[in-house]
Amino acid sequence: MTTLLCYSRNRSTSVEQVDDETLIATCTLQDTLTEAFVRIHIRFPELKILHAEGKFIRSGQDACIHAGAAFEKIKGVRIGAGMKKIIRGLTGEVTPCHELPLLIEEACHGVILAFTKDTLAKAPRGKTRSTEFFQKMVKENIRLYDRCAAFAPGSPLVAGLET
Amino acid sequence: MLKFQRNKLVSIFQEHPEELRIHGLLDDHIFGLEIDVVVGMDDLTIRAIDGKWNREETPECSRAIPFLQEAKDFRIDHQDLAQQINKVVSRKACPHFANLLLECCTAAQEAVRVIKWKAARSEQPELTFEAYVTGVETGAAEKKPAPPAPKKRHALKPLTKNVEKRPQDRAGGFVIDLHAHSFPASQCSSVSADELIQEAIRIQLDAICLTDHNHVWKAEDIKDLSQRRGFIVLRGNEITTDQGDMLVFGMHTPVEGIIKLSDLNKMVAEVDGFLIAAHPFRGFLVFNASQIGLTVEKAMQRSAYAQVHALEILNGKVTAEENRFAEKVAARLGLPATGGSDAHEISGVGKYATRFEHPIENERELVQALKSGRYEPYAFRKERGFR
Repeated sequence: MTTLLCYSRNRSTSVEQVDDETLIATCTLQDTLTEAFVRIHIRFPELKILHAEGKFIRSGQDACIHAGAAFEKIKGVRIGAGMKKIIRGLTGEVTPCHELPLLIEEACHGVILAFTKDTLAKAPRGKTRSTEFFQKMVKENIRLYDRCAAFAPGSPLVAGLET
Repeated sequence: MLKFQRNKLVSIFQEHPEELRIHGLLDDHIFGLEIDVVVGMDDLTIRAIDGKWNREETPECSRAIPFLQEAKDFRIDHQDLAQQINKVVSRKACPHFANLLLECCTAAQEAVRVIKWKAARSEQPELTFEAYVTGVETGAAEKKPAPPAPKKRHALKPLTKNVEKRPQDRAGGFVIDLHAHSFPASQCSSVSADELIQEAIRIQLDAICLTDHNHVWKAEDIKDLSQRRGFIVLRGNEITTDQGDMLVFGMHTPVEGIIKLSDLNKMVAEVDGFLIAAHPFRGFLVFNASQIGLTVEKAMQRSAYAQVHALEILNGKVTAEENRFAEKVAARLGLPATGGSDAHEISGVGKYATRFEHPIENERELVQALKSGRYEPYAFRKERGFR
């Protein structure tokens, strides 16, 4: 028996390095109700949002179609810890569109993951050496301790670390 | 050149009218994972959830899978769903499973609206989706789940130390934890103001400053806390600006939402208060500074530092490297430096603090002392031998 989808969603985030000082992060969303994208230009080394733009082509929430003014508000925000609260607060001042901050956050999160990828590229192969690599990573970034199951007490990756 | 890409796909179908079946897939340069979720149509709660890794970050990521079960019974239309998922699935299981689950749940919320609209349209063929949504939002008294019960707090025994007695100058200076968060004023804290104070007394801090997020303590409540516990309690405020979090002293105007740092700077100047950039490099050096080309010289150029009076260079929630970097930037800028635990739990109190030359009894004296520049950040717990 055919089981047709009643809803589908596809969200894609990409981060491109355009020169030594600039990244462009893009998040596109296409689902049953919404089609939208945001594009953010980020400058090194502050990871500051230089420019933001985007468009809602379709949306189940009318306010999103007219949410363009919100992009101006996030200029100058730094990507990093605490950014979610700042992005939601600033965009929330000009639009009730709830999808807009999510698109922006996904794009910004992509930037952080792009750098995480560079760090993980240095992880050695083989369980023992890889465990040592992550043990060192948690030790140097103690905020990671107990932040997920892999870094929770009892995991070999945090063996010997104090709370 | 493409540096990173993440794709998320959510597919939702109904095998039976009473439930939604949701399949989510996340695939990016680092991770590959999938989840299957079943949501009841009657109460919109998660009935079943399962997940699997296709590609993992660490050799221990598989530990996350059993904790996904803790999302069972979450309501997908709960106003705090994102918070619940972040608190439970992200912290206990994995932030990337949490990200995908949230994507699945928000898509499922939309799917439910589409299904209900289609059902309504069978009686009103001309009903548009927008008209249906507007009607539901304006006319509806949809049953909302009750907010979670407040956390239980233990009653504390009163102490006998007399707060009225003027503190004396002491050889080790006068040490204040300038940055601490209490529940419920800061929802992210797990400890009450009373418990923070009790711990501050136990480890022999000289005073503690409550700096709850965008929260202005009433002067009489602070006085009451001080007198009940026989300990100097001061008030500050941690305000989120477009340029990050700022510790504010001597200003008691409530600030809602996200304020521009330039506007906050003006407000603080009007009341002759004091403004400190809190944890200025928090999370900034998770990747190596060299990766993003961050140098002290470049960091100094940030315009935000021209609008604050000091930098917090010892913060209990950031890495040693991030604190060291902040110290270098403050030194090069010639800005005074402070320390604070940023405690959100008892064990954090006093990890870092600020040591002043002379005793401080009240807020006015605190602001004066901060303006004098005669203080230093202090690794209190380590220096005093407390774990």
